[in-house]
Amino acid sequence: MAFVVGINLAVALKLVGVAARVDHRLLMRFYPLHWYAAALILLSGLALLLAYPAKALTNPLFYVKLAALTGGLSIAALWQRRGLAGLDLDRPRMLALVAILLWVITLFAGRFLAYTHSVLLASRSF
Amino acid sequence: MVESLANFAQITGIYAVMNSPWGWPTAESLHFLGLSLLIGTVGVFDLRLLGVGNGISFAALHRLVPWGVGGYLLNLLTGTMFLTTAPDQYLFNPAFQMKLLFMLIAGLNMLLFYSTTAASVRGSAATAGLTARAKTIAAISLLCWSLVIVCGRLITYYRPPYHWCFWC
Repeated sequence: MAFVVGINLAVALKLVGVAARVDHRLLMRFYPLHWYAAALILLSGLALLLAYPAKALTNPLFYVKLAALTGGLSIAALWQRRGLAGLDLDRPRMLALVAILLWVITLFAGRFLAYTHSVLLASRSF
Repeated sequence: MVESLANFAQITGIYAVMNSPWGWPTAESLHFLGLSLLIGTVGVFDLRLLGVGNGISFAALHRLVPWGVGGYLLNLLTGTMFLTTAPDQYLFNPAFQMKLLFMLIAGLNMLLFYSTTAASVRGSAATAGLTARAKTIAAISLLCWSLVIVCGRLITYYRPPYHWCFWC
């Protein structure tokens, strides 16, 4: 999680204008490794979902987290495709700010999930 | 020690904030943001020292490190908020003790890097291979910060009783 969010924040910060000397196309060379970390998150997340399906699926925040995560990873995929091909990015600053916002939402929604669930196990409601 | 930390939380108002419905999860979310910044900059720099992303200038990539330091400071602040609000859940907790140990090793490792190796790394060409010392320091740093995160996660799974306190 830290690596996926971290590298995306680093690329986004660069695109916003911090560390202007770092070439973001080079920074994107870390993206292939980042997909392995993302796969690990998906697998462990799936295990947690299978363990407590009702807990997550009945919480609206879970869908917020899923949407923000999908958005963040889509931006990463777009940046990787265009960046590594050497193409210019459209409105990079705007998209970078959106990416930072999406990752912050993902982290907050994910953490608040542990405190806001109304159902732990479906079997307990019967 | 438990009382003095708890008193600190009471006097500063940390206890009240952390016991509000949103206090603890907000501090945790910020803690996660801080660790992501640390891994995304310092961790990525460590990976670069180890040879990943060959071609990226060391000095240029190092410009992102202050953001990692910022993340670390954010975590020091939020971490203090957790510790002082529920000191008995942390001080006797083996996961917390191990976490502090790995933070200490990472800190000493960082001092070693900046006192012995940083200057030569800064001057190295972006495609150059580094010394074994630089790579070892990077591997220790990456390992320590990963273990700090793992231990931090494990803290939640212990409810330490007072007799776990080995110095009391």
